[in-house]
Amino acid sequence: MTAATAPGYPLHFVPAGDLLGILPILIVGGGAVAVLMWDLVRPRHQEVWLAGLTGLFLLAALGTAIGQWVANSGPIVVFNGAYANDRFALFADFVVLITALAVVVLSPGYLRRRGLAEGEYYILLLASVAGMLVLDGALNLIVIFLGIELLSIPLYVLAGFARDDQRSQEGAMKYLLLGGFASGFLLYGMALLYGETGHTSLTAIHAFLLQGATSGHIDPMVLAGVGLLAVGLAFKVSAAPFHWWTPDVYQGSPAVVTTFMSVATKVAAFAVFLRLFSATLAPYRAEWTVPIAVVAIVSMIYGNVVAVAQTSIKRLLAYSGIAQAGYIMIGVALGRPDGTQASLYYLAAYAFMNTGAFAVVTILSRRGEDCDRYSELAGLGRREPVLAGLMALFMLSLAGFPLTVGFFGKFFLFSAAIHDGQLALAIWGVLTSAVSLFYYLRVILKMYAPAADVGSLEEFEVASVSPAGTAVAAPTAVGPAVLVVALAGAGTIVLGIFPALIYTLLQGISVVHG
Amino acid sequence: MSWPILSVTLFLPLAGAVAILAIPSSRARAIRLALMAVTALTLGLTCVVLVAYLAVPPSAASKLSGTANGQSLSAIHSPITFQFQEQVNWLQSGTSLSHLHLAFNEGNSAFNQAAPPPINFSYHLGVDGLAVWLMALAALLFLVAAVVLSQRETRLRTFAVLMLLSEVGVLGVLTSLDLILFYFFWEAALIPLYFLMIGWGDGNRGRAALKFIIYTVAGSLFMLLAIFGVYFITGAQTGVYTFDLPTLIAAQSLVHTTQATTFSLFGHSFSLLNPQEWLFLAFALAFAIKVPLVPFHSWLPDAYSSGTTPFLVFFAGIVSKLGAFGLIRYNLTLFPEASHTFQPLMLGLAIASILYGALAALAQTDIKRIVGFASISHLGFVVLGIFALNVDGLNGAIIQMVNHGIVIAALFICVGVVESRFATRTLSQLGGLARPMPVLAGLFLVVTLAGLGMPLLNSFVGEFLILLGAFQASPVWAVLASLGVILACWYMLRLYQGLTQGELRLPGTEAVPEQLQAVSRRLGRLDVGPVEVVALVPLVALMLVLGVYPAPVIRYGRFSAAQYVQAANRQTATDPALASGRTAAGSLP
Repeated sequence: MTAATAPGYPLHFVPAGDLLGILPILIVGGGAVAVLMWDLVRPRHQEVWLAGLTGLFLLAALGTAIGQWVANSGPIVVFNGAYANDRFALFADFVVLITALAVVVLSPGYLRRRGLAEGEYYILLLASVAGMLVLDGALNLIVIFLGIELLSIPLYVLAGFARDDQRSQEGAMKYLLLGGFASGFLLYGMALLYGETGHTSLTAIHAFLLQGATSGHIDPMVLAGVGLLAVGLAFKVSAAPFHWWTPDVYQGSPAVVTTFMSVATKVAAFAVFLRLFSATLAPYRAEWTVPIAVVAIVSMIYGNVVAVAQTSIKRLLAYSGIAQAGYIMIGVALGRPDGTQASLYYLAAYAFMNTGAFAVVTILSRRGEDCDRYSELAGLGRREPVLAGLMALFMLSLAGFPLTVGFFGKFFLFSAAIHDGQLALAIWGVLTSAVSLFYYLRVILKMYAPAADVGSLEEFEVASVSPAGTAVAAPTAVGPAVLVVALAGAGTIVLGIFPALIYTLLQGISVVHG
Repeated sequence: MSWPILSVTLFLPLAGAVAILAIPSSRARAIRLALMAVTALTLGLTCVVLVAYLAVPPSAASKLSGTANGQSLSAIHSPITFQFQEQVNWLQSGTSLSHLHLAFNEGNSAFNQAAPPPINFSYHLGVDGLAVWLMALAALLFLVAAVVLSQRETRLRTFAVLMLLSEVGVLGVLTSLDLILFYFFWEAALIPLYFLMIGWGDGNRGRAALKFIIYTVAGSLFMLLAIFGVYFITGAQTGVYTFDLPTLIAAQSLVHTTQATTFSLFGHSFSLLNPQEWLFLAFALAFAIKVPLVPFHSWLPDAYSSGTTPFLVFFAGIVSKLGAFGLIRYNLTLFPEASHTFQPLMLGLAIASILYGALAALAQTDIKRIVGFASISHLGFVVLGIFALNVDGLNGAIIQMVNHGIVIAALFICVGVVESRFATRTLSQLGGLARPMPVLAGLFLVVTLAGLGMPLLNSFVGEFLILLGAFQASPVWAVLASLGVILACWYMLRLYQGLTQGELRLPGTEAVPEQLQAVSRRLGRLDVGPVEVVALVPLVALMLVLGVYPAPVIRYGRFSAAQYVQAANRQTATDPALASGRTAAGSLP
């Protein structure tokens, strides 16, 4: 298109319009290269500029995405239908980029406290974000796979970033092995789908399936491919029963990485899930809706019930994440516009509340080890009233109380489920929400109840001394980190009172399929 | 209304909470005074609302207003009249949702057909003759709680702020006229209550709070699903998708759900209850847990025995009334036919509550648990009156809700005084307190007599009307319920006599008479202080006034009761006899 009219353009084989369409990805990818270079030439002990530079690139990408949202009203498909820059993708981009920004702000102080190297960290983070942005708009099986791998490989390294922490190493190894396994499933599913339909483009696959479905023909090979694809994606969103890696990896990984992994990965993987199922595979909806609903219900039950038994905060949040994946999966299982909208709303809500909760864990983490035991929360209401109050807010939001964004997340999901007549999904969602109160409120109780109620004074003393035996100094450089938590808290409340702020964005959303 | 008096009333405590946060926590006296000022001002405003409501002739106010998309319903008359209505749009998806083209090549997919219905809800406030009384009661009890709140209470400022936030929640539940707004306040009120429960009280409070919250939320979440059910069923049948209560009440006369829900299990399909009946049960579950009715009551004894006195004054006094309020406001109006279908079930649960609560109260040794189970028994009467489904019963229920709030608050203050002086709640460790504490014994006597339904005191009026209504529904119910009245004499007098009469007995002094003598000489100072007197005297005065001259309350309550009975007796809109509003006392179909 543009290439023909602009001879001599340095990249004449790639139309400029196509490059514009993936501008946020280019900025983030370029950012990774720039940070890599800067890390080589920067003065010593100036690590904080790395975070600054990373943040700058993420901000630029976010600004570009916002500009594209405002500018395009209609869908934009680039690279011969391989990538869509539609509002669906842009919305997911927003959530990923904002989460990544929050993580970048949290990181310098945390990495310094735990004594972890910095340079590579930001490069890997940016690379992973680029992979997520690729996934948000992928319209081709190959691009989806590319995005998944670009997202995952840096995360394998990041999970094991605490090199002298055995649990971090164990988690990373587990993540790598199981992640590779899941990629295999994904690829096998893609191969089957390609072999049967003859296309890798989602548009073409959709057209093919539609043709078959209208004549009443359901292709078993396609179904097998779809099943394998779903397994691979369910692994990425950590939905039960494909969640086995989640608790260990969340617990082992450095807290900032867990923050990033638990929110951003889930958003990107769900973007693919939603696009693939509610758009491309819509003709086969009758076939996949029940299995997906079963995965949703199993996740809700398993995550919520097992979370009750946890004594580690990070594991608790991991199981809570599995349960939350189950809730978001309700929207996927419905496979209709209101379900998709509800899922996107929940993802945005989840970004606020889960980033906030993990950010509090990050701030409380000290030299050598993350804040992970329940007992470390005891008396937090007195020691850190602001942090404790915000943590309580995030717990209430995850539990779905009104006045918090979590309420409207569940509100839209359940209302969509009821409207579609999927009562089982709604009822299981409600029952498991009631179970979830038990562990979310226990965190609050731990923070606010007097020490005598929840454990001996001895336990409290032990908790305030780090394993290395050094007395705890006041955490350094938590100023910006607290700001992140406060902003997440503000978002949780404001969106909990004015749901229209996000809901109206979602109303005009379009999912391009081809 | 020229100015939004309901919003002002609703958010005054919130503003007060923010103001109290600005006071340094060391200045306990200022915090307590500010708390009393805010709650007193709120009480003043609710009294203004009450008087203004009663001053407006009801017929002038009966119009269905403020329905954004109720065109097709404008001809239909809602039997309940709401006044002081305010409505602001909260979330309006309207028709623009059809822009959502979640698909591909312009509508070539079956997927495109399902345009989701719009989701609209609004900030809609209003009161009727039921809510105005409860608002005034709520504001009064919060003021009383502020008075009895000790200046030496730990973390006084936090307590005050949480208390005011609870008041916002309670007033919000009473004034909201939108199902989503109602649910919002209903659940949000739990947050400050939870923090009040875990922060103050005896060692068992963490467990009690968790139990209360899980019970309540589990029930409420099913109500949330039922709210969606009402929304989509009404929308599908009438074309009006709304969460707006007046519109929905009016629309119910258009809704006909005769078709039973069909289930299939292991190849057999069977039919069970129609959708309206399922929705009724979901709402009733949430409210029955809050009241609580008997199989759902087990959170209550723990919560009541572990709480502190100021908390219990408003928690037992008004929060439990919200369940009964919900049964009247939502179950009777939205599911008229199901209300009749389930009348025996609800009456049965009410009788079970009355008798079980009374018997359990007799078996308790902890004085706060006695009051807790007595409360279950008394609230059973309220539900009995509601589901008598006639004007007398409902009138009695409305009056009894107010009465019970006054009585239970006073009871908890009396029992709280005893607990705080002697650091025990065991009935058998105490006795003969009338001699050292004559003022308390005197006030306690009036409260006790009110609690057991003595004529010339307030509870008698309510119980009388409820029994009258129950008798019209079926004499069997009335006979069973009167057993509860007899038992009430027993457990209330057991509590009163045990504490105040007989030999003086104090914890730890049984074996040493000399020690008892020494202690009793110093007991003069243990009687109720000025603070408790200031809190108790207005409550006792109200018991006497409402008991001796109940006519105005009965007259105004009767109007509202008649409206709700009319709403519950609607069957279809096409029945002219019912639309005319002729609902004499107690005619059941």
